Amino acid sequence: MQDTHDAPFRIESRTQVLRNGMRIVAHEDRTAPLVAVHLMYRVGSRDERPGRTGLAHLLEHLMFEGSQHAPKGDFDDLLERVGGTNNGSTWLDRTNYYETVPSHAVELPLWLERDRMAFFLPTLNEETLEVQRGVVINERRQSFENRPYGMADERLHELLFPGGHPYSWPTIGYTRDLDAMTLEDARTFYSTYYTAGNAVLVFAGDIAAEDAFALAERYFGDLPSGPVLPDPARSDALPSVGVRETMEDAVSFPRTYRAWAVPGYGTRDWVALDVLAYLLADGESSRLQRALVREGQLAQDVDTYLYPTALCGIFGIVSTARSGVDVDTVDAAIRHVLDSVARGDVGEDEVLGAVRRVRRDHVGQLATVEERADALAYAATVLGDAEALNRVSALYDEITAEDVERVAAQYLDESRGVTLLVLPDEAEEVQDAA
Amino acid sequence: MPPSPVFLPAPSIGAPPAPRVPRPERYTLSNGLRVVAARMGEIPQVVLRLAISAGSAAEPRDRPGTAALVGHLLTEGTELHTAQELNARVDYLGALLHANVGHDYAEAEAVLLHETLEEGIHLLAEIVTRPSFPDAEVERIRNESLDALVAREDEPGNVADDRVSLEVFGADHPYGRPYFGTAEGIAGVTRDELVEFHARHYRPAGAYLVAAGDFEPGALREMLEAAFAGWAGEGPAVEYPAEVGDTPEAAGRLVVFPWEAAAQSEIRIAGRGIDRRSPDWVRGAVANYILGGSTITGRLGANLREEKGWTYGANSAFSAGVARGGWTAHTAVDVEVTADAVEEMLREMRRMAEEPVDEAELRRARDAMVLSLPRAFETPGQVASRLGTLEAYGLPHDYWDRYPAAVQAVTAEDVRRIASERFHPDRVVRVVVGDGVA
Repeated sequence: MQDTHDAPFRIESRTQVLRNGMRIVAHEDRTAPLVAVHLMYRVGSRDERPGRTGLAHLLEHLMFEGSQHAPKGDFDDLLERVGGTNNGSTWLDRTNYYETVPSHAVELPLWLERDRMAFFLPTLNEETLEVQRGVVINERRQSFENRPYGMADERLHELLFPGGHPYSWPTIGYTRDLDAMTLEDARTFYSTYYTAGNAVLVFAGDIAAEDAFALAERYFGDLPSGPVLPDPARSDALPSVGVRETMEDAVSFPRTYRAWAVPGYGTRDWVALDVLAYLLADGESSRLQRALVREGQLAQDVDTYLYPTALCGIFGIVSTARSGVDVDTVDAAIRHVLDSVARGDVGEDEVLGAVRRVRRDHVGQLATVEERADALAYAATVLGDAEALNRVSALYDEITAEDVERVAAQYLDESRGVTLLVLPDEAEEVQDAA
Repeated sequence: MPPSPVFLPAPSIGAPPAPRVPRPERYTLSNGLRVVAARMGEIPQVVLRLAISAGSAAEPRDRPGTAALVGHLLTEGTELHTAQELNARVDYLGALLHANVGHDYAEAEAVLLHETLEEGIHLLAEIVTRPSFPDAEVERIRNESLDALVAREDEPGNVADDRVSLEVFGADHPYGRPYFGTAEGIAGVTRDELVEFHARHYRPAGAYLVAAGDFEPGALREMLEAAFAGWAGEGPAVEYPAEVGDTPEAAGRLVVFPWEAAAQSEIRIAGRGIDRRSPDWVRGAVANYILGGSTITGRLGANLREEKGWTYGANSAFSAGVARGGWTAHTAVDVEVTADAVEEMLREMRRMAEEPVDEAELRRARDAMVLSLPRAFETPGQVASRLGTLEAYGLPHDYWDRYPAAVQAVTAEDVRRIASERFHPDRVVRVVVGDGVA
């Protein structure tokens, strides 16, 4: 029997702040001759305004279209030549740009990022805006519109966050807003948020911290700090709605989506909810897998998720009905399982197994220097410092069965959440599984 | 106002670090199971993959889905534990334990935290060597698999993928048929047939196990010997059709699959590929890298995405197999530009077949492939994959040591020849799943 577990997996790092406010984080790991360079700006789709949704993400695309000294094409070309990769992504609370290079080439991504932090606006033009507007509209089609159930998340968030909450619109943006976006919108957004004072730069891998700090000073130390930005509105009152809606889609099986607004990433209750998410649906012996899929034979699949978002967390449960099973039956079975947890029948062994599965995923997710750099940058951006990553990780060992029961009762109540049922449209209903 | 930032000259880049390819231990257990073990001490995780020639290519022709069902049922009960007991134990350990079945191999994988290694290895051995195929679980998995087939067809990209495989290889080749089976096969296969398939094919001689991660090598070997001690025998060799020609029978054809109210058209252009053991494989990899190996800088992506804005991405790839695999270019575009997009793809393919690539473009591709090698060996999962490739396709043990030189030796003429053999519009099939495509 193996009833103990190892200490949490720690990611050690050091932080220095440049005079312009840019925070530099260094994590040394000499295993592979690689360095990940990760630049995260504290800006996401939450910082957009209605009518201009999708701007943060569209700007991220434009950032790859060249800067004054590295014209269009150079960014990818130069990095590929040294064996590096690069990408960027936009989410609710942050936008990131990252490169992984063999350690001899670490200065190249710094030079490129400096160029687009300091010399981007002169190259921004209508032509690149038009091309990237087309690419993003096609990304929206490919990732959402042309996918079964692809529009459910968008509707779920609209329902969960009424009244213009900054998490109510999709990061990809609405097509009508993407169509309306102007160069001036992109320029203003860039000038406001893409500044040294609003950025975190992480080095992870085959580089000494002192060398990382010196390089950061050399490439970013002279850049202006940028405007002082107010902290995002973080309200203690979580959105609480109690709504149920149905929508149709070109799918063969109905699916139920449930979501709740819960405490934000890094809080003790968020950690307890993360353990609950694993206990409910990660692994074949988890409660929802047994009740819905294995024993109940009501659903083909069931999954839970918890967003590590800043203003609040988002807890979700998604399940697809088996053929011939009414989706309301599936939904009622989910409610039944949640009630049983909230009533207090969770065992400490069940919690230990869930915590181990969280740790298994953490270890797997943090196996590359690229992913470690991302995690450190995210902690620094959303929680205020990179070391918070280890503090959050240590919190998992404190979670008890009682905590899990309490957060289920407190946050996953019927009256606080949203249920969205996606039903097959008429064209699909004639299909039969056999 | 602070002074404006000044331009800094681009940095000069020094010599690249020498590649570090893992040097695994290789040995054979007393029952004939080949083991490749690469120790990596940095993260407390061990990945074990046990691969057996029991993919869909090995299943009876009239029972498509047998191999996938057997793989799925390994974790659904054994002679020692019910499915419930097994799942509870795996989840308590925080382990991942499952099987993936493809055309060539069935692969059972365990992802373990260092602290649970010994019990995890025993559980892996138990599911692979002693599954019990309980009636109730067989019926449940059968029904779930039938629903999954229906759900799969809801996605136009899946329909395009499945159709293009059929067009390239035909229904008589295992690669032309889905590795996950058909509704008829899954509905019709009996429990006895599943038991028989397992008993026949799941044997240690001819199989291989790759371990990568945080373990003590001597202890690992003892654990493996103990866990797999009761397993013996050799599975039958899988018969593949005799070498297929260079050109699919349907070459030059356009197959259109109408999809009402599609938001995009899914496009696949595909043909026959390259034998994984051939020296042409690496040449093909370089040629493909230039055409569509990289979303932004590859010629397909540069044209369709970066220049036209028609798509989120356009890529291409060769697929590896025990038998010769295929080559596929894929994208999803605006419905209105479907025909233009197909034409542009074919134009890029023809251009590669007819005009030599310039040295700068070739050098970038070769350098990118060689210098990015360290990223391919970073995690236990990646190391297990790279080492597994050598075992799966019978490549030499020093393959990865010699890979950089092999890539650097590829010439512009090699690229043109491969392109004319593999990418030329006369040698490929086009499949479009979309709306309003004439």
